[in-house]
Amino acid sequence: MHTPPATSSAAFETAPRLAFAADIAVGLACLSALAMLATIVLLRRDLFDAWTGWLLGGFILSAGAAHFAGTEAAAASVSAELPRLTLALLALGAAAALWSRIPRLLARGNPPVLARELQKRSAAELRAREAEARAVQFLSHVPEPLFVLRIAADGAVQVEAVNAAFERVFGARSAVRAAAAQLLPPALAAHVARRWREVVVTGTPEDCELTADMPSGRRSWQVALVPMRGADGRVERLLGSARDVTANRRLQEGLVQSARLATVGTMCAGLAHEASQPLNAATLWLRRARQAGRTLPETERRSFVQAAQVVEVQLRRAGELLQQIRALAGEEPRDVAWFDAAEPVASALRIAATQYAADAITLTLEGDGVRLPVRGSPPRLEQAVLQLLSNARDAVQERRLREPRAPARIEVVLHRAAGVVAVEVRDSGCGVPEALVGRIFDPFFTTKEPGRGIGLGLALAASIARGMGGGLTTWNLPGGGACFRLELAMAEPMAMRHPDVAVLA
Amino acid sequence: MSLSWLEAQMAMRARILVAEDEALAAMAVEDELQEAGYEVELAFDGQAALLAAQRALPDLLLTDLRMPRLDGSGLIRAVRAFAPGLPVVVMSGYVAATDADGFRRMGEGPVALFAKPLDMDALLAEIARLLQR
Repeated sequence: MHTPPATSSAAFETAPRLAFAADIAVGLACLSALAMLATIVLLRRDLFDAWTGWLLGGFILSAGAAHFAGTEAAAASVSAELPRLTLALLALGAAAALWSRIPRLLARGNPPVLARELQKRSAAELRAREAEARAVQFLSHVPEPLFVLRIAADGAVQVEAVNAAFERVFGARSAVRAAAAQLLPPALAAHVARRWREVVVTGTPEDCELTADMPSGRRSWQVALVPMRGADGRVERLLGSARDVTANRRLQEGLVQSARLATVGTMCAGLAHEASQPLNAATLWLRRARQAGRTLPETERRSFVQAAQVVEVQLRRAGELLQQIRALAGEEPRDVAWFDAAEPVASALRIAATQYAADAITLTLEGDGVRLPVRGSPPRLEQAVLQLLSNARDAVQERRLREPRAPARIEVVLHRAAGVVAVEVRDSGCGVPEALVGRIFDPFFTTKEPGRGIGLGLALAASIARGMGGGLTTWNLPGGGACFRLELAMAEPMAMRHPDVAVLA
Repeated sequence: MSLSWLEAQMAMRARILVAEDEALAAMAVEDELQEAGYEVELAFDGQAALLAAQRALPDLLLTDLRMPRLDGSGLIRAVRAFAPGLPVVVMSGYVAATDADGFRRMGEGPVALFAKPLDMDALLAEIARLLQR
């Protein structure tokens, strides 16, 4: 007979019972952990992916079940132990597999960290937007015309954006998406188009100077073009800025002109003085000769007097030439008295009307009727205007030789603006060839045949204008012909001198 | 002719001091002025002219501008210092006929301005006019 081993009933009572209790407790804990897991997985799918969830679930279940099965092991038979072992091994397997999922889990986003990231990014976006807003404010108030051009894949150029200054200068209201060629005057657009293509091809920023005849006169701009490449490496946009350098250009030209004239002026003054001495002596001695010739017999005296007269006329011609040269050399002394420029201009026109009566040229005078106070010498202004009129008449007649039906018009326009009085003489002649524009005011420069003017007229007019605080410029008119603009500084009439009243200069 | 008449004649003739460094021109001008009945003293530079004026004040000064030692404006200023009302006529190769204003503002006082080559008739007329006063 086989009897079960005798164990003390106390020991038999306590240890297995404790083990039993422990197993139940762990099993329950595992079950609850499982329930927790299920809840999390159902509610926050993003925290665990499917496999991690299953493995973790499997591990917990096996571990729990193993413990429950352990309670059966109190029977201490192999058949009870086997399930327990199996479950335990399953748990171990699941735990091992779980390790492979841990790295991925750890890499998952951390909510507090994510929140901080988000905050940083939105702050950065806000700063960027503020910076952009400031830049837009700045650009819209910059006085230089700025423009952004978009280059399509087929090479077509469109205006993407312009700033307020661009619209002001080029008068473009709805500039956006217009073809660039429409916005600018044709000559300027053609010029700019060439530059654009170069910049698109080379991809390097470029600076160039462009000059064009605008309605307000000839203007020059310093244009900078900066290419911007898109993601595909192709030049996608051109950022451009245009700075009006007309004033600078004129100043430079003025300086060069002044420098040249200073030399010419000094030379002229010196020449006039030197030449005047022998001329003076010759003139005076001729008089003596004529006195002496009175005692000659009749026939000899007549031929002598005739010869002396010829010499005298020639000497006088030379003297007048010296006068003109001298007038060129010296700037006019500033006269204190002011006068209305309209009067000498009108008087010059009257003289011209009489002189050109036979030429069938229409002479017109346009003015606002407002006073044009300037300082200087009225006869000199009249002389300058007469010179411009004579120049205009020559241009009109020259054109008529080639085109008998050409319009024959000379318009004189008077107006004032911003401290400047302007007298414009516009003719319907053949205009001034581009190449000569810079030289036309040089003394002794003339395009006429010898014997028809020595080229001092325009230089004299320019000198008179400078002496009155202004200058002389010229440009070709769109409809043919040229415009010569005399600018004179506008004078403020001084109050009558009175001991108690301050003089308004 | 009695001596008194001669003296009277001489006393009535105005004296003109001519300052001009170009000898030819000076001679010709002297001739013309003497023909017109004036007494002429010549000086070939500003310094000599000033000394002559100090020795015996002329009735009119006719001067060139560009002269050695003392130029025309210097001479005029110096003479006007002791003879403020003296009529002065300037003949010059430098100034344009319209530059009389320039002289007034330089403080030389009123002058008659004649550009070279000289219009002798006009010059004589102006001198006569100035000496009438």
